[in-house]
Order: sequence, then structure tokens, then C-alpha cells
Amino acid sequence: MRDLYQRLALTPDANNQQIKSALARCPNSALRQDATSVLAVAPHRETYDTLHHTLSDIGRLRARLGLTHGAHWQGDVANDFSLPPDNAISRHDELVDRVSHAVSLYNRWRRLRGPWLLIAVFTVGAGIGLALGFALSLGLGLG
Amino acid sequence: MSTARFSPFELLLLKSRSQVDTATLLLLGWVLVHRQHVSEGQRRRRLAQVTSQFRHGHELGPVMSIAHSQDLHAIQLAAEVVRKECSKERSLSVMHQAITVATDDGDISLANHYILRFLADLLNVAPATLGTLFQELTGQPLRPPEDPSRDAYWQTHDPAYYAQKAQEEADAAQREKASQEQAEQQQRAKADKQQEKKQKQQEKKQQKEDARRAKARAEQSSAEQARAEQARQERARQEQARQEESRRRQQRSSPPPPDRTTRALAVLGLTPGASKTDVRRAYRRMAQLHHPDRFYSDSEHQVALASARFQRIKNAYDYLMQTY
Repeated sequence: MRDLYQRLALTPDANNQQIKSALARCPNSALRQDATSVLAVAPHRETYDTLHHTLSDIGRLRARLGLTHGAHWQGDVANDFSLPPDNAISRHDELVDRVSHAVSLYNRWRRLRGPWLLIAVFTVGAGIGLALGFALSLGLGLG
Repeated sequence: MSTARFSPFELLLLKSRSQVDTATLLLLGWVLVHRQHVSEGQRRRRLAQVTSQFRHGHELGPVMSIAHSQDLHAIQLAAEVVRKECSKERSLSVMHQAITVATDDGDISLANHYILRFLADLLNVAPATLGTLFQELTGQPLRPPEDPSRDAYWQTHDPAYYAQKAQEEADAAQREKASQEQAEQQQRAKADKQQEKKQKQQEKKQQKEDARRAKARAEQSSAEQARAEQARQERARQEQARQEESRRRQQRSSPPPPDRTTRALAVLGLTPGASKTDVRRAYRRMAQLHHPDRFYSDSEHQVALASARFQRIKNAYDYLMQTY
């Protein structure tokens, strides 16, 4: 399986017009014949596109997992669908990081809950006392 | 600390009782999604059947819906978990399950060809082992996938289109021929008229006209010949391509038979070159895993399957003990 879009310098969402002009420009007659019978026929292109999508996904997965030189990834497919490896993110490590972050936040909340609750109760009580005193003094002043 | 910061699959993984099982479930679901001509209910039932021994402890529905959305991040995460936590035997059993799920009725879709190979690379299963495993499970050798980016693939898979195209071409050629004939007739009629009109001028001119007509006819016939020649060549080329294809298929269908020791080793999940102690240890482990008594509480069917597996393992072990 080859990536005909790449070989014709097209994007996978190219429309029929673009495909036609790319076919006219293509210098390799064998490739032109193959591309004509695959891309220029709607049902063929649909099947091809589905597989193309899956293979691009697999290529991306392999690049991220460092499997671009696997024993089962050879020939045309490997040539056309391999991407440069990027070890930037391991999803699992990221998940572990996020979970541990969440856990530490939760632990901190658990630890600080007591003092904060005390402060909150004290503030509310003080507020109520102040309001009551104010109302009382107002009532006295008026009376 | 909202849960929205975790994707559905991450939540599933965090809640699961066994992360490997959940991750394997997603990968198997991914394989199943690429099975063709299978309904959604069948897919779910199949997955439940294959993974009856898993200890994940959650519903299959969410996993299937994630697999359907083909969320690349989720699949990557699952692949990482599986790679990190699978032992050698476990990875072989995952491969085993993936092949079963991919090929119930014998044929395997193109996408699954590549997915199975990706899983094999992920789980560090060598091509030879994958080949023997596939052969063991389906009774057919694992062929290289066909290539829909080539004309030849469509000539075998969509002959209707080519027949139609050939028909159209023939029609066009016929129409062209007819119109040419008509033009020629008109020309001749005109020439006749001219001739009548200018009857007096003539000997020379008539001769010239004749010569010209003769030449035109010669040209036309040679053009027709050329066209026929071209058509013949085209047909010959197609014929040759078809023959080559069938020859290649024949060659492919008869690879060297894997030798019995290798097969027996593959049954025990070993690669060629394993020592006698390895074989014994692998046999004990496999026998424990697949002993029919383990499935006593499950259905009759499960017990029967397990005893078939156990028998195969035992045969392989007996054979290896004799030869080693």
C-alpha cells in the first residue's frame, strides 16, 4: 500500500479537479495508471481513503511509540506512512503525572481542611456578632 | 479537581480493577471496529466472549464507543499500558485474542492486517511467531496484505468497473468508426457531384483525385490496423498481468511448511532455541492456565474449549520431550 496522495504531492482531502491536474502533471506512467484507477473512481477512492486514514493513524502511533523500525513495518507502507519519531509525550507518564498532581491537591485540601474550617466558623461568628451589636446599638440609639 | 480534565478512557483506566485488561480491551475493540460486515451487537458479544476471563470490572459499552471514535490518544495510552505491563506469555495471549477477533470467518480485513502487525511489533512478537500463531488459529498462512493503491488490485476486486470501461471504450470506437464512414460517404458524394459538374476538365484531375482517394483509404486502413494492433497488445498485457498475479498467488500459498518442532514451541509460547527446562516451565504454566478444571464453574462450552487447548498443549509437550 502506497500513499498516492503523497506521491502525487496532494493532500488527502484534494478534490477531483486537483487530482485531475496532478494526474496530468504526473511524469511516471505506471503511477499515473494506478492513481487513475484508484483516485479517479469514487467507490475505489472511498475504500482507499478509509485504509489510508487507518494507516496514517498507525504511522502516527508507531512514531510516538518508537516502533518506526519494527519487523512488521516494512516496504511501501513503511516508506510512505512513517513519520519522524517524536518522543515528546508518553501518554501514560502524562496520565501518571496528572493523577499524582490531583492526588497531591486532594491531600493538601484534606490537610488544610481543619484550620480553614475553624477560621471560616470564627469569621462567620464574628460577622453575626458584629451585625447583631450594630443592630442593637441602632435600636438603642433610635429608642 | 473536576473529572473533566481526564478523557473518558483515562477515567475508565483509573477506575478499572486491572489496567492491562482495560487497555487490551480497547485494542481488541479497535481490531473489531475494523472487521467488515459485522453488526454492532455481534461485535460487542464477540468481545465479551473473548475477554470473559478479564478482571477489569466495568461495562464494555464505553470501551466500544471509544474504539469507534478511534481516539488516537486513547489507543496510544492503551498501547503504552499494554507494552509496559505485559509479560511474554500475556503478550502472546493478547496476540492470540487479537487474531481470533480479527478472523472469525477466515478472512481478515486490510486494515486489520496492519493493525495486527502493529500489535505484534508492540508486543515484541517476531514475524515467524506471528505467522505460526496465525496458521495455528485460522488454518491459513498469514499472507502479505493486498495493495489497493494498485491497478491490479482493482482489476481482481472490481471487474465490473473494468468491464464497463472496456464496453465504453468499444462503444466510443464504434461510434468513431461510424462517423468516419459517414464523413467518407459525404466526401465521396461531393466528389461525385464535382465530377459531374466538371466533366470536361478532367483526365488529369480525375487521376489525381483517384490517387488522393486511394491514399486516404490506405491511410485509413493502416490506422485501423494500428488500432487493432493496439487493442491486441492491451489484451495481451492484461492477460499477462493476470497470469503473473495468479502465479504469484500460487507461490505465496505454498511457503515452506514450518517444521513441527517450531510449531510445538509456538504452541507453548516459545521461540526456537528454547531449552528443555524452558519447555518444561512453559508447559507447567500453560497447563495451569488452560486446565479444563479451571473452567469447571463456567459453561460446558468453555470446558470443552479448554480441554481442546489443553490437549494441544500436552501433545506439543509430549512431542518436544521425545525429540529434545
